Amino acid sequence: MPHVEFLNVNKMYPGGTRAVIDLNLTVEDGEFVCLLGPSGCGKSSTLRMLAGLESITSGDLLLDDRRITDAPAQSRDMAMVFENYALYPHLRVFDNIAMPLVARGVPRAEIRTRVHQVAQTLHISQHLNKRPQLLSGGERQRVALGRAIIRTPQLFLMDEPLGHLEAYLRVQLRAEIRRLHERLQATTVYITHDQEEAAAVSDRIVVMNAGRIQQLGTLIDLLDRPANRFVAEFIGSPPINLLYAVLSNNGNALQIGPTLLPLSPPQRARLKKVRGDGFTFGIRPEDISLTQVREITTIPGRVAVLEPQGDKTVLIADTPSGHLSALVPSKDVPQPGESIRLRCEGSRAHLFGPDNEGVLHGIG
Amino acid sequence: MTDVAITTKSQTRAVVRLRNWTVYFGACAFVGFALFPLYMMITTSVKTDQQAFAWPPVWVFTPNFNAYYNALFVFGGRGVGHYLMNSLLVTVASSALAVFLGAMAAYGLARFRFLGNRDIAFFILSTRFAPPIGFIVPIYLMATRSGLLDSPIALIIVYTSMNLSLATWLLRGFFLEIPIEIEEAALVDGYTRWQIFLRVALPLVRPGLAATAILSAILSWNEFLFASIIAPGNAATIPVFLSGFSASMNIDWAEYMAVGTMAILPIMLFTLLLQRHLVRGLTFGAVR
Repeated sequence: MPHVEFLNVNKMYPGGTRAVIDLNLTVEDGEFVCLLGPSGCGKSSTLRMLAGLESITSGDLLLDDRRITDAPAQSRDMAMVFENYALYPHLRVFDNIAMPLVARGVPRAEIRTRVHQVAQTLHISQHLNKRPQLLSGGERQRVALGRAIIRTPQLFLMDEPLGHLEAYLRVQLRAEIRRLHERLQATTVYITHDQEEAAAVSDRIVVMNAGRIQQLGTLIDLLDRPANRFVAEFIGSPPINLLYAVLSNNGNALQIGPTLLPLSPPQRARLKKVRGDGFTFGIRPEDISLTQVREITTIPGRVAVLEPQGDKTVLIADTPSGHLSALVPSKDVPQPGESIRLRCEGSRAHLFGPDNEGVLHGIG
Repeated sequence: MTDVAITTKSQTRAVVRLRNWTVYFGACAFVGFALFPLYMMITTSVKTDQQAFAWPPVWVFTPNFNAYYNALFVFGGRGVGHYLMNSLLVTVASSALAVFLGAMAAYGLARFRFLGNRDIAFFILSTRFAPPIGFIVPIYLMATRSGLLDSPIALIIVYTSMNLSLATWLLRGFFLEIPIEIEEAALVDGYTRWQIFLRVALPLVRPGLAATAILSAILSWNEFLFASIIAPGNAATIPVFLSGFSASMNIDWAEYMAVGTMAILPIMLFTLLLQRHLVRGLTFGAVR
C-alpha cells in the first residue's frame, strides 16, 4: 500500500533555483527509505516539503491517498529529527520529549509514563532532569529521537540525524535506529550523504542529484546496475574507475586505449543503436586483478601509488587511458614503478553512453 | 634555555600585574567620578542645611530623615507620593505595552517572508530619526482635542510609541538569533505559530525582553519634555515635579535631594532586578 506519494513535485526557490525537479516517488507503508545524494541535490528540500516546512511549487503530495500538498506542518502528524538536534534549550530533557504530547493535550499521568518508557528505550533515563546543554552530541540526538518516537506519527522524517556525531557513535546509533524501525514498523524517510549509513538503515535507497531522482533500489542494485554515470561514481568505495572507450573499427570490440574487449553479438547490436560516439567504461577497483598474460584484452600500466588497507591494497596505476585503481591482495603487491598488466572482469563492467546513461552492464 | 624562559615568564607576569593594577586604578577613579554626585545627593538629603553647606564638608554626621517625611507627607499638600505613582503607572504601562507589542512585531518581521519585510523594519527604526521636539505641537494639539491633556493615558500612548520602535528593532535581532530548526521542530511537533511564539520563541529571547524592558523603563521614567507639556499638573511625573524645585527662589536642598533620591531608586532597583536575566547564552547548545 503506498503511504506517501510525490506526484510531479517541483520546488523552485525565490531567485530561481530549482531544487527539486519533477519528483515522482512512492514510499510504501512501513518502508524505510533513504534519500542519498551530495549536498545541494534536493534531498533536504524533498524532506522539508514532506514535513510541510517548505511550500511545494507545483505537483502533489499524497499521504494515504489524502492530498496534503498545502496542509500546514502542524496538521501533518509527522515527527522529525534534525541534523543539529533542534532541542528546546529552555526545557529539561523530560519536557523536550513530552512536547509533542503536550501539544495534543495528552493527560499528564500518561505523558509521564510514556516519557519514562521512551527514555528507557533510548538509555537516557538518567538525564531526564537535565537541560540539553549538559548532554553530549550522541545523548542530544537520542533525546531528539525520543521526542520523535514518543507518539506514533504517520511518518518519521530524519534529516541527517547522525551528521554531527563522531564515527563510532554514528555506527552505534544507526544500528539503534534500524532496531527501532524493526520494532515500530513506522514508515521512515531518512536523509544522508553517507552510502554506508544509507545501506545500514534503509530498505531502499533513492539516489538524487541536481534535483532529480537518479535511481532507486538497494545498495546491491545500485552497485550492480548503476542507471547512469553519476550513480556509478557516487556509489561504491573506493570509487569506480571511468575510462574513455570507443567502438573498435570493425565494431566487434570495445577499445580502451590499446586494449580491446570483445563484445557479444547482442551487445554489438545494442551499441550500434546508440547515437553519437565516445563511451565511458566503468570498472570497480575490486573487479580488476593483476595478471601475467600479455594479451590485447588486458591493460598495460605502471604502478604509481600503493595504499595498503589491511589484507587488501589499493593499487593506483598509470595506464595509457589514465589512472586506474585496483583493489588487490596485499600479498605479492608489485612495487611502485614496476610494469604490470591488469585484467578487468568484463561481466562486472559498465558502459555509459555519450549522454552518460547506462548502456551495458557486463561486457563480453 | 630554560632559565631564559623562566625569566621571561616572570617578567611578563610582572608586566601583566602592573597592567592589571593600572586598569583597576583607572576603573576605581572612574567609578568614583560617576558615583560622587549620587553620593552627594543621598547625603545631602539626610543633612541639615548647615551640614550641607559647611566647609570643609562634613563627612561624619547623624542622618535625619525630616526631608523625606516632608517630601512625602507635608510638601505641597499631598506630597511627592502622588507624582511617584504617576511615574510608576506611566512607566510600567508604556514599557509593558512596548515590550509586548514590540515582541509580536519583531517576531513577525524576523520569521515571516513577506513583501517589503526589510523596508518595514527600517521604517520602524526611522521613526526615531527626527528629534522628538519636532512633534511636540501636534502631540499637544492631539492631546487637547482628545481631552487627554494632563492625563496619564496621553503619556502612556506617547511613551509607548516612542519605545515601540526601539523594542521592535532590538527584539528582532534577538529573534533572528534563535536557530530556525527549534521552531521548525515545534511546528512538526504540532504547535501553532502562536503557541510557538509564546512557548518557544519568547522564553528563548528572555535576555532580550529584559534588556528592552530596562531601556524602555529608563526612557519613560526620565522623560521630561513631553511630560512637562502634556501632563503639567495633576498627571505630572517625577521629572516634572523635580523641575519645580529649581524654579523656586530659595531651594530647600535637603528636600530637593530627597525627592531626587526617591526618583532614582525605583528605576535603579528595577534595573538591578532584571539584570540577572541579561545573561546571554541561553540558546547555546540548543543546536550542535
